[in-house]
Amino acid sequence: MNETVNETMNSSSAERTTPFEKVCHQWHQATKNLDVYNQLLTRDAKIAQTPKQLIWTLNKAKLYHYTPQVSEDQRHRIPLLLVFAVMNRPYVLDLRPGHSFVEYMVEKGYDVYLLDWGIPGPEDRELKYDDYVLEYLPRVIRKLKSYTRSNEFSMLGWCLGALISTMYASLRPDDGLKNLILLTAPLDFANKEAGGFTKWVNHPSFDPDRIVEAFGNVPGEMIDAGAKMLKPVENYVSNYVSLWENIEDKSRVEAWHAMNTWVRDIIPMAGAGYRQLITEFYKENRLMEGTLKLRGERVELGRLRANLFNVIAEADHITPPCQSEGVMDLVGSQDKEIFRVRGGHIGIMAGRGAEKSTWPHIDTWLADRSD
Amino acid sequence: MSEKPETPNIFDPFGMMKQMRDTSMENWAKSMTEFVNSDSFTAVQAETLNAWLATSTPFRKLLEDTLRQSMQALQMPTSQDIVRLAERLTNIEMRLDDMDSKLDQCLESQDRASEG
Repeated sequence: MNETVNETMNSSSAERTTPFEKVCHQWHQATKNLDVYNQLLTRDAKIAQTPKQLIWTLNKAKLYHYTPQVSEDQRHRIPLLLVFAVMNRPYVLDLRPGHSFVEYMVEKGYDVYLLDWGIPGPEDRELKYDDYVLEYLPRVIRKLKSYTRSNEFSMLGWCLGALISTMYASLRPDDGLKNLILLTAPLDFANKEAGGFTKWVNHPSFDPDRIVEAFGNVPGEMIDAGAKMLKPVENYVSNYVSLWENIEDKSRVEAWHAMNTWVRDIIPMAGAGYRQLITEFYKENRLMEGTLKLRGERVELGRLRANLFNVIAEADHITPPCQSEGVMDLVGSQDKEIFRVRGGHIGIMAGRGAEKSTWPHIDTWLADRSD
Repeated sequence: MSEKPETPNIFDPFGMMKQMRDTSMENWAKSMTEFVNSDSFTAVQAETLNAWLATSTPFRKLLEDTLRQSMQALQMPTSQDIVRLAERLTNIEMRLDDMDSKLDQCLESQDRASEG
């Protein structure tokens, strides 16, 4: 596909003499661009290329270790575990070579591990946050600690992965978690008008039980449509118009293709987890109210003592800033910092400016606390 | 990838058309975002979803029942059987994971003892 783009770009520089030749050339170029456009929409880009090895599996969950790129004496002592959301694929953290958060952190000397929750099947329809936080994550951490022979670790949670990480850090404060980084964490749902999702699911007619009863697991297409409907013109129209306009710009096309590959790779969400997310978090705001119980244990944010770095996207329409800010007053951490980035929910970590606007700040904060 | 429209050049009609398109798309995007966040859209969306679930669920259930009965008549495992089997496998996997962890601990303490 890239060859086709290059070919198109080269032929555009050729001299045209007569108006007819110019029109012919433009027509020829438009048909070639159309072919590239079609390929971009239908084929997957090469993503998640950073070398890694699988070190643990359980049901659909997998734990990967990224091959270190710097010598052991230059590496940070404390390993870093990445926890992404349960309803998207985690390789957005390792999108493409030269533009990958994982690659960046590995090159900065971190020992990086990634938890992939996997794609839930019909047999996982009863999986809840209780299971993610108290069954799966402790096992992942047990394996991480025995594999690295380190009693301390850092954890970075993004979106619902940040929600899971926060609950774990509150329930198991003595488990060795030294540093916790939260990215666009949906934790506080007190403001029922903030963000489209909160408003939609709080409508009296919206009944998550009926959805779960009908489907078992909530289809990825439904979650995807909901996310895209929050900004319908940008997602369904402008996105494709701007691709067409930049079709001859190789770097933009590569970035778009990698992101589109990730966006198209939709997965379902475990039914019981979805019901719990809507009812106990979005509707009843139990985590912030201090009434949330997982397997009978009350989740008290005051017990969270790890060093905390809370990254907020100022233009986030999926997790509005107010859903991430309130936690800072409730946690028991002595070392805590809030960091605001201009950008959206995904853009702050996977957008074109992420390597300048977000990643270095995470590295700077974490490096001081990882040796 | 969206860009701010540039200052119009009156001698470039295509540029002006592009700018008009960008401006109208921006306004369209803004009004649609406001619309999907409105009370009326929220209500219509929830009610439409309910209506669709109410009409489609009986058909889905009927299909599932028919398939289950057919598979049972053919003496073949149904999807429920496979789900039950998968759940049991996950439980076995958890036991194995616990045993693996205990083995790691034993090996670690053995290493420490031999070092000491």
